[in-house]
Amino acid sequence: MTTTFRRLGAVSATAGLVLLTAACGGNLGSKSAEEAAENFPDGPVTLTIGQDPGGSTDLIGRALAGPVSDDLGVSMPVVNRPGANGALAAKELESAEADGQSLMVINMSLAAITPLAVSEDQAVDVNDFEIVTGISTDDYVLVTNADNGWSTIDDLKNAGKTLSYATTGVGTGSQLSSELLFKLAEIPGKAVPFDGGAPALTAVLGNQADVASVQLGEAMPQIEAGKVTPIVTFAKERNQYLDDVPTAVESGYEVEVQQARAIAAPKGTPQEILDELKAAFDAAFETQAYQDFNTDNLLTPNEVSGDEVVEQWTTALDRYRELTEEYDIDLGGGQ
Amino acid sequence: MDYSSVIQGFSVVLQPENLLYCFIGVLVGMLVGVLPGLGPAATVAILLPITLNVEPVTAIIMLAGIFYGAQYGGTITSVLLRLPGEASSVVTVFDGYAMARDGRAGSALGIAAIGSFVGGTVSIVALTFFAPFVARFALDFGPPEYAVLALLGILLVASVGSGSRLKALVAAGLGLLLATVGRDGFTGAERFTFDSLALTDGIDFVPIAMGLFGLGEILYNLEDRSGRATAPPKMVRALPSKDEVKQSSGAIGRGSVIGFLLGILPGGGAVLSSMAAYAYEKKRSKHPERFGQGAIEGVAAPETANNAAATSSFIPLLTLGIPANATIAVIFGALLIQGVTPGPQLITEHPDLFWGVVNSMYVGNILLLIMSIPLIGIFVRILRVRGTILAPITVLITLIGAYTVANSVFDIMLVCVFGALGYLMKKFGFEPGPLVLAFVLGSLLESALRRSLILFDGDPSGFVTRPISGVLVLALVIVVAAPALRALMTRRQNRAKNEELV
Repeated sequence: MTTTFRRLGAVSATAGLVLLTAACGGNLGSKSAEEAAENFPDGPVTLTIGQDPGGSTDLIGRALAGPVSDDLGVSMPVVNRPGANGALAAKELESAEADGQSLMVINMSLAAITPLAVSEDQAVDVNDFEIVTGISTDDYVLVTNADNGWSTIDDLKNAGKTLSYATTGVGTGSQLSSELLFKLAEIPGKAVPFDGGAPALTAVLGNQADVASVQLGEAMPQIEAGKVTPIVTFAKERNQYLDDVPTAVESGYEVEVQQARAIAAPKGTPQEILDELKAAFDAAFETQAYQDFNTDNLLTPNEVSGDEVVEQWTTALDRYRELTEEYDIDLGGGQ
Repeated sequence: MDYSSVIQGFSVVLQPENLLYCFIGVLVGMLVGVLPGLGPAATVAILLPITLNVEPVTAIIMLAGIFYGAQYGGTITSVLLRLPGEASSVVTVFDGYAMARDGRAGSALGIAAIGSFVGGTVSIVALTFFAPFVARFALDFGPPEYAVLALLGILLVASVGSGSRLKALVAAGLGLLLATVGRDGFTGAERFTFDSLALTDGIDFVPIAMGLFGLGEILYNLEDRSGRATAPPKMVRALPSKDEVKQSSGAIGRGSVIGFLLGILPGGGAVLSSMAAYAYEKKRSKHPERFGQGAIEGVAAPETANNAAATSSFIPLLTLGIPANATIAVIFGALLIQGVTPGPQLITEHPDLFWGVVNSMYVGNILLLIMSIPLIGIFVRILRVRGTILAPITVLITLIGAYTVANSVFDIMLVCVFGALGYLMKKFGFEPGPLVLAFVLGSLLESALRRSLILFDGDPSGFVTRPISGVLVLALVIVVAAPALRALMTRRQNRAKNEELV
């Protein structure tokens, strides 16, 4: 009940950024950058997740919020603001006050892949934010039902039919990775978009779709049980948790697609605050509990600086744009 | 099958710590179910950190308790305030609220509690014995099967409610149209979003249901003020009578089976099951006109079915590692955090966890039944509160509930818009029920149909040649053709009789 009443406070105020102030009593008035830097952290630091509770992004945010809040000495409420695959939360963060009190976990696919599928004004640009730190990467793996007996890309080529590939939705790394692989390897295929990783994987398990590109964490239990066979992973290097499966690049096809996550703050957040936040997150990365979390969820740490994240994601977007134009791939058919 | 591990599971549940967490889980679940909007998925996510310090089995026992406890609690607001907190209790509103207005709220809640208990228990027993076998069946349900199932559901929509059939179809049509709002999941095209990011994922079910049922109803009742003062319905009794129990026993039995079977299906099982159970009871009833006017079977069947479905939706998770709905997805996440990977090997690698969780559901259901019967008396007293006080409080709860689903102010505005629509619909004799149900099924129908057609290369004959979807198509034909045939037969009989007379 207390949560409900606290949230009631938030309703009575307006628009997106109020959430963070609801619990601590408003600091809505504008303040200068120096003032903000001096007082930081001034009350709870809100960490917004652009996805529903329970997904990988949500779990990562929640795993970090605990130790980061310990280090900062203020609480760090995690708020889910799902919508448009995270774009809604990102747009709200853009207009939040740049005082370090509001942060979000931002997905690479939102900034590097989705812009290829949606209209320009709905695309999210990583340069519109200050990136505090990178977090981790999550690999996509192409799997097929073990009953098919396929285990390499050549097997797929020799299947002798148009293969259906399940994707986790439009504008996702799953869609991009399989579209590119099928085009580059000249395998005849048709995309069947599903609403997330679990239904796509289920379609492969039930033999309704021939292959699916899903995140490793989702596929691993089925791989270990021998229900699905991994064919390739789509990262630059082999995945540490699945090191006997080749990458697409090793197999001769320049397809490099990954999911990565980072912490974003509004543009113009003072450097002192960003540094303080980075230090707090670095401390959280060091904790044993968080490292165990990464291992359990098959995540590869990518705890690089904010600048490096921006560089990684911008390069990826440019490259994907080139590739999709070169191979005439249209991620969003409707534009 | 080795039953020693089943027994072992009971010894896990009966440890005091696990019993305590089971109790906390079902209690929290029931409260969450009562608060519309704050659903079990969000609650489980919020409580995740608490579970880090306990054993995996204890954690999952508690989280599972929240899930099925919420199914119990959701009925309470549906019956008393006409506010379905979850898609799976929408159909309960029709007869439950009518019963409450007749002063039979106690009977409605009592039968829902008993039905939920029976449905849950039947489902657990079935889960215990058949889980590994039926898991395969869930995988055989692909896009074509869902498409036909959704179509079947939409056809049944027309028979839900009590108003005119034509008006029900108009409302259902509107519901289907509303389901098309949002970014197209196949091409990324924007449909009716008016360049608003808030609409790209479409409209959420909660603001629609709360606006049309909750706010619409309140606005409509305010109009009554000038006329006779509506006396608060008198409580006849706190528990259902023997006759009422007898009357609904068939519905409870059938609801259990329907709920168990549909609950196994990944995605929307609980919703489909409550609707299917309601529609089926109405179809086979000798007096279908009583439905929507306070028929006790109309409460018993869907409430039994959604609880049975909540339990059986654990089967795909525990045996295949597939989360069947949002709440189960969060529980999947909780297992991962605990270092247990839900998957096909779970039952062999962690038998104590598997059977501990399954058996905790027996205990949880008993706890819920014991708790809910005395609580019903307290909840029903809400109806005694004067309308002028209850109405603003309900509006407030509704708006908070709508906000908490996605922390979105936009959703509050949606509730207001749909509240106005619900008021107008009621004023012109349109039932909101078919609209909401068609809306829920509409997006499932569209995406499953398009997915199937991609898989079939655009050839619709695939729907008939696949065994399960073929059977479902046959059921569809029967549902459509049977009433027409029956009408034809009676006409012929009448003619024959007339001829004899001549």
